[in-house]
Amino acid sequence: GALRGARRAVEVPLAPRRGLAEAAGRRSTRQLKEAEEAAPVFQYVGKAAKRKDRVFVWGFCYSGALGVPSFVKPDAGWKKPRRIQPTPYRLETEEKISSAACGYGFTLLSSTTTDITKVWGMGLNKDSQLGFQRSRKDQTKGYEYVLEPSPIPLPLEKPQQTRVLQVSCGRAHSLILTDSEGVFTMGNNSYGQCGRKVVEDEIYSESHLIHQLKEFDSRVVQVVCGQDHSLFRTKQGTVYACGWGADGQTGLGHYNITSIPTKLRGDIAGVNIIQVSSYGDCCLAVSDEGDVFGWGNSEYLQLASVTETTQVNVPRHLPFKIGKIKEAACGGTGNVVLTEEGNVFVWGYGILGKGPNLIETAVPEMIPPSLFGWSDFSPDVRVAHVRCGLSQFAALTNRGELFVWGKNLRGCLGTGRMEDQYFPWRVTVPGEVVDVACGVDHMVSMVKSFT
Amino acid sequence: LNAAPGRPPRQHVRFLPASAGDDGRVTGLVATKVPVLADHPLVRGPRFRHLKIGAGHRLDVKASGVFVLGIGHGNKLLTDLYNCHLTKVAFFLPFFKAYTVGGLFGKATDDFSDTGKLVEKTTFDHITREKLERILAVIQGTNHKALLMYSNIDMKTQEAYELAVKGLIRPMGKSPPIITAIRCLQFTLPEFQLEIHCLHETQQYLRKVVHEIGLELKSSAVCTQVRRIRDGVFTLDDALLRTQWNLQSVQKAIWDCQLKVKTELERTL
Repeated sequence: GALRGARRAVEVPLAPRRGLAEAAGRRSTRQLKEAEEAAPVFQYVGKAAKRKDRVFVWGFCYSGALGVPSFVKPDAGWKKPRRIQPTPYRLETEEKISSAACGYGFTLLSSTTTDITKVWGMGLNKDSQLGFQRSRKDQTKGYEYVLEPSPIPLPLEKPQQTRVLQVSCGRAHSLILTDSEGVFTMGNNSYGQCGRKVVEDEIYSESHLIHQLKEFDSRVVQVVCGQDHSLFRTKQGTVYACGWGADGQTGLGHYNITSIPTKLRGDIAGVNIIQVSSYGDCCLAVSDEGDVFGWGNSEYLQLASVTETTQVNVPRHLPFKIGKIKEAACGGTGNVVLTEEGNVFVWGYGILGKGPNLIETAVPEMIPPSLFGWSDFSPDVRVAHVRCGLSQFAALTNRGELFVWGKNLRGCLGTGRMEDQYFPWRVTVPGEVVDVACGVDHMVSMVKSFT
Repeated sequence: LNAAPGRPPRQHVRFLPASAGDDGRVTGLVATKVPVLADHPLVRGPRFRHLKIGAGHRLDVKASGVFVLGIGHGNKLLTDLYNCHLTKVAFFLPFFKAYTVGGLFGKATDDFSDTGKLVEKTTFDHITREKLERILAVIQGTNHKALLMYSNIDMKTQEAYELAVKGLIRPMGKSPPIITAIRCLQFTLPEFQLEIHCLHETQQYLRKVVHEIGLELKSSAVCTQVRRIRDGVFTLDDALLRTQWNLQSVQKAIWDCQLKVKTELERTL
């Protein structure tokens, strides 16, 4: 019973006082009933109470990416620094967080508020991927590690009207999508991943520079960061890319870097793309008709179904016969898609989720729905979303449960155990999981409380 | 039982003197089959003096439902059934029990049932069926995890994956109570009814679960009814009502269940 909130009670004690003339001894049933009816009724939550939005984090703490300073610098002398948080830990935030992204050792949280502060960042900041965080000790310097969610000031024209829709993080750069002022990029730009010209010998740490990208054929509705490249999806269904291209992950037909976002062609030319995904050097895109396209690194058989080349620099259609695809997620070496029927398919290399025997496959294999809680007793459990970290996968069901599998790098799976997980395993979260962001060694989830 | 006609007495062969002739002298020995005197009811006494009756899984005083009893040789069958945890793959059907549990929102008592001493009264108008079902989903999830943890199978093996897919991972040997499935059958504020499938439980644990559901919903709940609807292979249909507690019904019930018990034992051994 640890969930008691503020109680509103009447000062009447529970047992009515016995009068002087009444005898002692066991009270009759009628007396008990009367006492029960006279007892005060406590109200813990009113009829119109709304469910609360919470953020839970878990994984590697020392980078500061979890946003809990006491893990790195304990606030009491006897406490020890915590290297790994193996189970979900609640992170207090000022605003309702609508979008979260985990990069390589850092995290971005954003809210759709119209207040001045819309984005918070924590973790590694050696390339100013969290913007400039002024150090309190020395006003001229910036923090290299940010231990708690700190506001990121954006150079908005209309800060009290523009809303931040989504954030995305790569290895050392970040993208912030707004509804009316385009995309803001910060962090490392050595390969043009921030969408601006590469400046030789530029120093990225303690930099104030936040670049704004507005030139697209229509409004950008999704931003995705790969390891050192960026993808932009517009309302019209076109995809733009910039950044490192040695694996062909920019999909522009060459293997050079690109510093200006350029439209992709290949098999997705003229196709209405409704979702893009990337985290490592491979990219996947889903069209409105349920087809999936891929480009980039294929050293781990991600695109081996269409080509033997290990670097694909033009989007290719992946002719899988598994049904219409609703959502795709790309990891470092493995990929996962979710079909319209709610089935989850995995392929690539690594711990794919079908036991230790399946290490690599070029053709998608389905993960049995019984592993996600489906059974004769609960036949309408479906997977609603799939997400990928660098070497782990996550699936969210329509019941609000979170399943994870893959390499448990520094406790990033959140299962409470340190072993790798070879098939989907529930993460116990006190609430209904609405969304989850996976990183290299940590994860962030947005959760709605039960009541 | 003693009034029923018993087995006919055993016969044995005795060499008896032949019936005497006219003059009463014994002429020879004749082999005749005569009943053994030791089997005579007046010598033997009533056939049944003690009956070994053992109980299967416990059912406490406030609960109702299916209660399995073993008579005589049935006790040994019961122990065989319950010792199946020693086999390699845990068959859980003998341990599997299903209950309907009735609950009432609005109060909390010391022993979690509605006859206990009142501890607190709370409001419950904010509770909806949806919220209840969310809590039930989480209970099922955490218990499913416990199921996998107590099964003592190494999670890193392909075997563990295969069993998990088929839903056959069960705890071997002792484990704390685990709920394998829980769902809401009825919901009319302030009452609700749940169906719970569980292993290694006690009825008091189920009442505690009702209490904890009340707490999770930021209110309180007491358990009004615990009724076991299934115990292993035995369901409500096999159970005898109070009016049927007589010899003929008991004999018929034993006869009807024999086939079920036999197939179950063959599966586990």
